[in-house]
Amino acid sequence: MSNRLDDRTADGTAIARRHFLRRCSGLSLGTIALGLLEDRTSAVGVDSPVAIGRPDLPHHEPRAKNVIFLTQSGGPSQIELFDHKPGLSKWAGQELPASVRQGQRLTTMTASQKQLIMPARTQFGRYGESGATIGEWLPYHARIADDVCFVKSMVTDQINHAPAMTKFLTGHQIPGRPSLGAWASYGLGSENSNLPDYLVLLSKMKRSSDQPLYDHYWGSGFLPSRYQGVKLRSAHDPVLYLRDPRGLPRNLRRGMLDGIREINQMRFEQTGDPEIQTRIRQYEMAWRMQSSIPELTDLSDEPEATFEQYGPDSRRPGSYAANCVLARRLIERGVRFVQLFHPDWDHHSRLSSWCVARCRDTDQASAALVQDLKQRGLLDETLVLWGGEFGRGVAGQGKWDSPDGGRDHHPRCFTMWMAGGGMRPGMTYGATDPFSYNAVEDPVHVRDLHATILHLLGIDHRRFTYRFQGLDFRLTGVEESRVIREIIR
Amino acid sequence: MFRYSRWSLSLLLSYGGLIAEIRADAPVSFSRDVLPILSDRCFKCHGPDATQRQAELRLDLRESATADRDGRAAIVPRDLTASQLMVRIRSADPDLRMPPPDSQRKRLSPVEMAILQRWIEQGAPWGRHWSFERPTRRSPPVANAHPIDAYVRARLSREGLRIAAGAAKHTLVRRLSFDLTGLPPTRDEVEAFVTDDSPRAYPALVDRLLASPHYGERMAMWWLDAARYSDTDGYQGDGTRSNWPWRDWVVQAFQGNMPFDQFTIEQFAGDLLPDATSDQILATCFHRNHMTNGEGGRDPEESRIDYVIDRVNTTGTVWLGLTLGCAQCHAHKFDPISQREYYRLFAFFNSIDEDGKAGGGAKPYLAYRSPFVARAVEEAQGVVAGRRPLADATRLRAEAEFEVWLEEVVAAVRGGFQPWHALQARLLETVEGTALTQQADGTVQASGPDPRQDDYRLTAAPGVRRVTGLRLEVFPHKSHTDGKLARGASGEFILTDVKLQLRTKGRSQLRDIELSSAVADAEKDVGGRNYGKVQGTLDDDPRNGWTTASHDPRQSHVAVFALDAPLQVDDDQELVFTMLHRSTVGDANVGRFRVSVTDQAGPAVRSLAAMPLEELSGAKVTDAGQVSTGLRGRLLDQFLSDHAAHQQAQRELARAQRQLTEVKRAVAAQRVMVLSERGTARRTFVLQRGVWNSHGVEVRRGVPAAILRRPAEAVASRSDLARWLVSPENPLTARVVVNQLWQMLFGAGLVRTPEDFGLQGEFPTHPDLLDWLAVELMEQDWNLKHLLRLMVTSRTYRQDSRVTPGLLERDPENRLWGRGARFRLPSWMIRDSALRSSGLLNPAVGGPPVMPYQPNGVWAEMFMGRFRYQPSQGAAQYRRTLYAFWRRSAAPTFLFDSAQRRVCEVRPRQTNTPLHALTLLNDLSILEASRALARTVIGQRPEPEQRLRLLFHAILSRSPSDSELKVLVREVSRARRYYAQSVDSAQQLMEFGQPEQRHSEQVIEVAAHLVVASMLFNLDEAITHE
Repeated sequence: MSNRLDDRTADGTAIARRHFLRRCSGLSLGTIALGLLEDRTSAVGVDSPVAIGRPDLPHHEPRAKNVIFLTQSGGPSQIELFDHKPGLSKWAGQELPASVRQGQRLTTMTASQKQLIMPARTQFGRYGESGATIGEWLPYHARIADDVCFVKSMVTDQINHAPAMTKFLTGHQIPGRPSLGAWASYGLGSENSNLPDYLVLLSKMKRSSDQPLYDHYWGSGFLPSRYQGVKLRSAHDPVLYLRDPRGLPRNLRRGMLDGIREINQMRFEQTGDPEIQTRIRQYEMAWRMQSSIPELTDLSDEPEATFEQYGPDSRRPGSYAANCVLARRLIERGVRFVQLFHPDWDHHSRLSSWCVARCRDTDQASAALVQDLKQRGLLDETLVLWGGEFGRGVAGQGKWDSPDGGRDHHPRCFTMWMAGGGMRPGMTYGATDPFSYNAVEDPVHVRDLHATILHLLGIDHRRFTYRFQGLDFRLTGVEESRVIREIIR
Repeated sequence: MFRYSRWSLSLLLSYGGLIAEIRADAPVSFSRDVLPILSDRCFKCHGPDATQRQAELRLDLRESATADRDGRAAIVPRDLTASQLMVRIRSADPDLRMPPPDSQRKRLSPVEMAILQRWIEQGAPWGRHWSFERPTRRSPPVANAHPIDAYVRARLSREGLRIAAGAAKHTLVRRLSFDLTGLPPTRDEVEAFVTDDSPRAYPALVDRLLASPHYGERMAMWWLDAARYSDTDGYQGDGTRSNWPWRDWVVQAFQGNMPFDQFTIEQFAGDLLPDATSDQILATCFHRNHMTNGEGGRDPEESRIDYVIDRVNTTGTVWLGLTLGCAQCHAHKFDPISQREYYRLFAFFNSIDEDGKAGGGAKPYLAYRSPFVARAVEEAQGVVAGRRPLADATRLRAEAEFEVWLEEVVAAVRGGFQPWHALQARLLETVEGTALTQQADGTVQASGPDPRQDDYRLTAAPGVRRVTGLRLEVFPHKSHTDGKLARGASGEFILTDVKLQLRTKGRSQLRDIELSSAVADAEKDVGGRNYGKVQGTLDDDPRNGWTTASHDPRQSHVAVFALDAPLQVDDDQELVFTMLHRSTVGDANVGRFRVSVTDQAGPAVRSLAAMPLEELSGAKVTDAGQVSTGLRGRLLDQFLSDHAAHQQAQRELARAQRQLTEVKRAVAAQRVMVLSERGTARRTFVLQRGVWNSHGVEVRRGVPAAILRRPAEAVASRSDLARWLVSPENPLTARVVVNQLWQMLFGAGLVRTPEDFGLQGEFPTHPDLLDWLAVELMEQDWNLKHLLRLMVTSRTYRQDSRVTPGLLERDPENRLWGRGARFRLPSWMIRDSALRSSGLLNPAVGGPPVMPYQPNGVWAEMFMGRFRYQPSQGAAQYRRTLYAFWRRSAAPTFLFDSAQRRVCEVRPRQTNTPLHALTLLNDLSILEASRALARTVIGQRPEPEQRLRLLFHAILSRSPSDSELKVLVREVSRARRYYAQSVDSAQQLMEFGQPEQRHSEQVIEVAAHLVVASMLFNLDEAITHE
């Protein structure tokens, strides 16, 4: 098995961390090979045959090698979960002062309604030596309080889901730019990883979410398509078209592929087109993927203890909790960027049952993932992020004092947490005003977050550009952004 | 860098991917050699954008660059040492050097410095960027030759290279057929051309293909990508639109060879033409093909601004080859387009009578009746008519089997029948601490703590081998509040969700079992998302669920849940049934209940009525003849619901019927999104930083002066804008269009950045040829077929695409066109090609969209079931990909490297990944084509080897070589051996796709040839433009 576990048992943790990248070539899972990569193709719109990332990278010694992004789609409420504002109870039912609102735009769902303050629907506790404030709906998070860094002063400038999520993940609100994971995959590649560099895992939900998860959230934009995230489905075809038709046994498929290879080789000898050689390699890779992907996604070789740690939901393939287990397996195998999506955090009504349901889906497994990585010595080199595209407003949507009350979208502050990969553990960074409305201390714009993530990966966001339509694009765009050094160890 | 000895001091350098020659004695070209360097390294701070400008210096203007600045100037013609530009770019001092080390701009290379040096030595002659100068036509380098070849050969000979020999005839007919119709030639077409030695053969072939009804379709695919055409809105709602009549308008326009200037004018302003016909209004849908966002809470005005911006940017890319979008937030950093000019263009599209809404509210609409629907309806009726007899026959067979079954069950239930089997729990668990105890009759009682919310989980072997449904009974009890149903304050319960899972002994993972319906004897009558209906327990949403509050709380109640499909349960398997009480207020956990399962199918688990077998048992009959008619009917229903063949035939008939219903909707006038002006024009402002509600100065309609100046009164309407675009004086449009046509045939343009003819784009590989063709297009009244004919009749086009290692090294990207173009076909063409080769292709033109095969669940996963993909049935399945339904947020899965249709795209993607290989290996369309072709060749030829030759020729338009044939023989024998031993596998392999195609004689032979055909469809040659 070409993963770091083996390296570690053989050589000890430190060596495994430093050298795993160079050590796993030619081994089994592996064979999936250099990711789902196309090689150079015709003259049109393609870059040079990069399989190992950009030669000018890293710009500096990386702190993180991999990223797990636990994307909570819909906008979790910072007010109930992390951003404790005990003073709010005094304001219950009163109108939000204009001095706080400062002309903040509202969605048309609440624009015509009075902005009456709804205090948090939860009790808070202080946890760990760091004394982090965590709401009661996330009991397992209390256990990782000293492992993570909470950023309470996140800011975005989009107020609707799709534009905000697009901004959150691609740096721009209009679809078409590469996603963070695609940038990472393009920049750093995977020297010898045996899986795609960038994998995407979506929670399987029964309830229909109002916010579809568009594939441009993990798209490669104008970067070559090999860098786009590959979605692992929870259906019986984890990757589209992976399974052969019923009635076609493996030995016949092998025969077909041999035939394809031989005739393609003859064609290559006649035409001299090197693209044919690439095609031969890609067909062989497809063959190997057909066995290694199912092997990867089959959790039956995990010990019982794993499922106890990640919670009962992790026994259910496709659940967020099972995807957390899968994320750890992918990191063990050296995948650069793993992104989970859990939908349905858009709690405009009945916060106290609806939001709890999503907390229960994610709480235990998110915390278990951090602890598990730590126990396995992988957390130092893996950056784990948790967060959604925006936060929620302090005013109640619907009646503020009814159990039916919820909260509308809010871009001016929200909370994210990050762990491992060079982040300072047990820290809370930034602060909001007493209404959890404005980030008043150390605001962190989404593009600052991007700059910081790239920095941890050894990339200077200002120098990391891609030429498209005559312009040098970068993830952080044209406006100023800064690496938040205060939260880095 | 390459060095050629022929020129003592010449350099052939690769700069930004372009090959430019620099000769010591030759003049440096400002626009080709100098401007790209200045643009890339200097203009960011010393260019058109005033907000970024440093030191008040502009290097894009001669006056500023040569102006005296305290005794010095950036550029002093013919004086290198006085030119500060040279001093600064060469400086070793990081404080002086340009571009500054911290500017993220690369330092100039020695070659680039040499270019600037020579340019200044030559007097620093200024000029404009090449593409802003009107194209002029000089006579081609060689008279009497085909003009394209004259230019291409001249360029090649400067490199000491020659044009390649012509391609083999079978290759040529295939290439041309793909290029002009998007389809491979038939066997007869190949034969006819290959055997015709007359000089007229090729021109005649060109004429025939240009006249083919598939020509318009092929061209339309180019245009639909550029037009970001889609059948849905995109974004959150992604509602379906009915703009497809516009797609047919495009096909017809190309088919009729509508001149490109007219094509432009009608799409921009068909509605403004005098006596506009409805087809002319239909044309304006071009500018409504953008995405529309109907997300809840979004300000429609913000969306409307997005649409207007999209139109400006699309115009920029498709007609002007300019990245106008850059000027949305600030002056263009490289091209001479100001932000104000951007919003002048914006003003043309700002007064459409629209309000930013999406879905069904995206006015203005045109009611348009499509002439292409009758055929589609007829086809759909044909499928229904074809399937009905099959369904009827299957039913008759099933009814006959029913009689036998009935006899059996009459005997079997005489001694009694137990409909429900109570689950005896092995494990009873709760999450929050409620104590559950089970009694002998299966009843479970809650006691001890009564938390606000709790989940109950019951694990049990079902006691039956098959489970089709569950029953949940809820009982009152004296230990409950007032003897009601629960222990909470109200005595009522709220069950928010139930889940069923299957556990296998020794495995740590569970399998989710889908429940498809729920019924209850009593529900609180509520509307919307609330607590009442039992159906609410199936959706994992704690905001709804089942309660019987408002009914008698001292009565027991019952709910029945049906499994989506019958579940086989083995001895080592258990059911896990979970009841969630997660309501908003809580305090409503069920107090006493019992869970039972049944193995009875169909209606038995979809209602609360007594099951048919229960009734039968109660009726005490001794033979089937005594069963009452009503009961007999119910028994038959149940029997049929469990009868696989009957169910399948019904499903297939139902699909055909659904398709017919759907197609019939297209008969009525369709609402097509079009342009029309509102009564009063909207005022247009510069939007500061591009922010939708951040108004700057007001502007009026106008066009960018750097492209082609026009007084404001001459460009007052959308039609004026369109006429400006296709004015013979416009330097860009004809070049941009010619370049896109060239790209279509040659795989890459003469300008390799088709979307950017601006300063940051690439310089043309053959500037004189590009201009010659652009002028030709305009002088020939924008006749596209004329241009295409000109291109494909050149020797340049007809060259062999083989390449030697030497040539590959010298010109890896074929920028000199010293060989034919070899590139992978677009994925839509690969599918169409398989349909044509196999004979499955349905060549019908136009009509409502169709749904080619794609894997199950792709839409449903994304939209959690809100949209479901239903593959087209019968002949509709085999329409060309052009007609495939395009859902913006989930583009057809069988297409790869295709335009995304979110914003306009004019550059093809060419990548090569294992995912593409998997798609072509396992896509049903290719497999079905393989099956059809296998069956055809088996029907045509008895000799085994001839069959393989036919297969090969059908897919590759040529005969196999001996060594190729050997591989085919080997693989077909391998497959035949396997299927001869495992006929079941061969049968299984046939079980996919359209039922009409499934039935097969000679199943072993067909399966073996299917395998080989599928292999051939995956060959590099099969999917490549050679």
